[in-house]
Amino acid sequence: MENHSLVQRLIARPEFGPFVLLVVEIAVFWSFNHDFLSPQNISNTLAFTVELGLIALAMTLLMTSGEFDLSVGSLFGFSPVLMWTLFNSGLTSLEVGFVAALLVAAFIGLVNGWFVTQLKIPSFLVTLGMLLVVRGTALFVTDGFPQRTWSAEGSWLAEVLVGDFFIGSFRIYMSLFWFIAAAIGLGYVLTQSRTGNWIQAAGGNPNAARARGVNVSGVKIGLFVLSSVMASLAGVISSLRTSAANPNSGTGYELEVIAMVVIGGTALTGGRGTIIGTVLGILILRVMRNGIVLIGVPGLAYNIFIGAIILGMMALHSWLERRHQAGT
Amino acid sequence: MAEPLIRMTNIRKSYGRVQALEDANFHVNEREIVGLLGDNGAGKSTLIKVLSGAVPLTSGDIFIRGKKVSLRSTSDAIAHGIETIYQDSALVTQLSIARNLFLGREPIKPPRFLNRMDQDAMNTVARDLLKQVGISKNIPPTTPIGSLSGGERQAVAIARAMHFDSDLIILDEPTNNLGVAETQGVLSFVRNARDSGHSCIFIAHNIHHVFQVVDRIVVMRRGKVVADDIDPKKTSVAEVERIITGMSDKEIRDAIADGKPSH
Repeated sequence: MENHSLVQRLIARPEFGPFVLLVVEIAVFWSFNHDFLSPQNISNTLAFTVELGLIALAMTLLMTSGEFDLSVGSLFGFSPVLMWTLFNSGLTSLEVGFVAALLVAAFIGLVNGWFVTQLKIPSFLVTLGMLLVVRGTALFVTDGFPQRTWSAEGSWLAEVLVGDFFIGSFRIYMSLFWFIAAAIGLGYVLTQSRTGNWIQAAGGNPNAARARGVNVSGVKIGLFVLSSVMASLAGVISSLRTSAANPNSGTGYELEVIAMVVIGGTALTGGRGTIIGTVLGILILRVMRNGIVLIGVPGLAYNIFIGAIILGMMALHSWLERRHQAGT
Repeated sequence: MAEPLIRMTNIRKSYGRVQALEDANFHVNEREIVGLLGDNGAGKSTLIKVLSGAVPLTSGDIFIRGKKVSLRSTSDAIAHGIETIYQDSALVTQLSIARNLFLGREPIKPPRFLNRMDQDAMNTVARDLLKQVGISKNIPPTTPIGSLSGGERQAVAIARAMHFDSDLIILDEPTNNLGVAETQGVLSFVRNARDSGHSCIFIAHNIHHVFQVVDRIVVMRRGKVVADDIDPKKTSVAEVERIITGMSDKEIRDAIADGKPSH
């Protein structure tokens, strides 16, 4: 295996397929409409991409450990609602409301993790239940109405999370840097750190990991907390950027995020995960959504393309996996 | 006589009304390979599960070098130097050889707060270990377990037990589904482990494999140890088969004539 050429090894990587797909996608959209690569379009696409991306990064680690989280979309909507409700009612400052929202999210992650690891209930059922509890709470607290959000102007929290500036004609939001930092940090954890080895072992063969003294439950609970906190952070960032806190926002994001992660090459069954792949998966889906609108395909047709991409990439990953198992 | 490495006395284990072990007595000496034989349901798996901490015993005592121990979990057993290798369950197929070897005990590069694995050190040790255990092929330590053969996986699991100074390595059916050459490889890994100071318990359905490698044979029948000092050099396979089945010579001949396998 060592004498395989560099090119062969590159092609064998799970990230190779998604990378090619992204390049093709960009080339096709650009050839149809040159505005696709205009600074304004790139800035607009990136702004929301990184918000969803934060959730996908955390989900990558969770899925590598063999679990997933359907409650992220509801937390994306609930956390900003909680923060603004606390602030608008005069109970706390915006910053304290933010910390409170993250703490509540962490607690929700803890509950998810506890149900999955201690009561041995599949994460699908646990987080589906939690999705309904959290979304229901957001709707109940707000009577279904969006919260007042206009008073974030001048808050240092808003500056740190979503402050923007221009590089040439590119409008860059601070959230991009948070996303890059999270991608590097979590990529490091997954591939370089001891924790990363445990995450992969927990997803690959939990019994073997447990027998070696790895705290599989602890690892999984930690990742459920991370997933909830990142979804909460993403929701707050999105809310500050768009000046909106709608209890319904984030609906359906859980599936889009899981799609991003699996397209990137992370195994739904656990044991194998890639942050680089997830970053590519995030870009593939967001570029697709933006591109098909730009070239004039009706936005309602978006899901047809997403579904086709998921099926195509799964076929590719499964083929690569079989080649890999065969030792070629 | 010196105190054996492992001594299990009057071990009883019942699953509801089923008595899987009835006052079983068993021991393993230092630097010894013990072959544990018995028909299906004889109790050898249960005995091994008790010793590896996978199931709790109903009553009885376990001593390690004369000291009484209680093995409540598999990690308890590992902490006491008892490593059990099941054919497929001991390794994480997605991880590399080196990462499997050090799973749970990964060396950390300074500064410690970065929690960074010392992958170079892991790979170097893994390379040496693979050589020591007797793998002749040049397999890079970064190879995922998933692309190794059954025999090579056994070698990695044995190498891990050797590296972390397990006193006792329990091999449950290590030669199942292996080809002739691979089986010989695994048998030589086991001998290498003994020669470097480890004791082994070897369980296999194939008596001939057991005869090739063990120093002493123990036979179980119906939850009891019925023979525990069979010398494979002085005993024939047929004799051991008789003890396993509890049949007379004639009964075995008749059984073979009826087309039933004798083991």
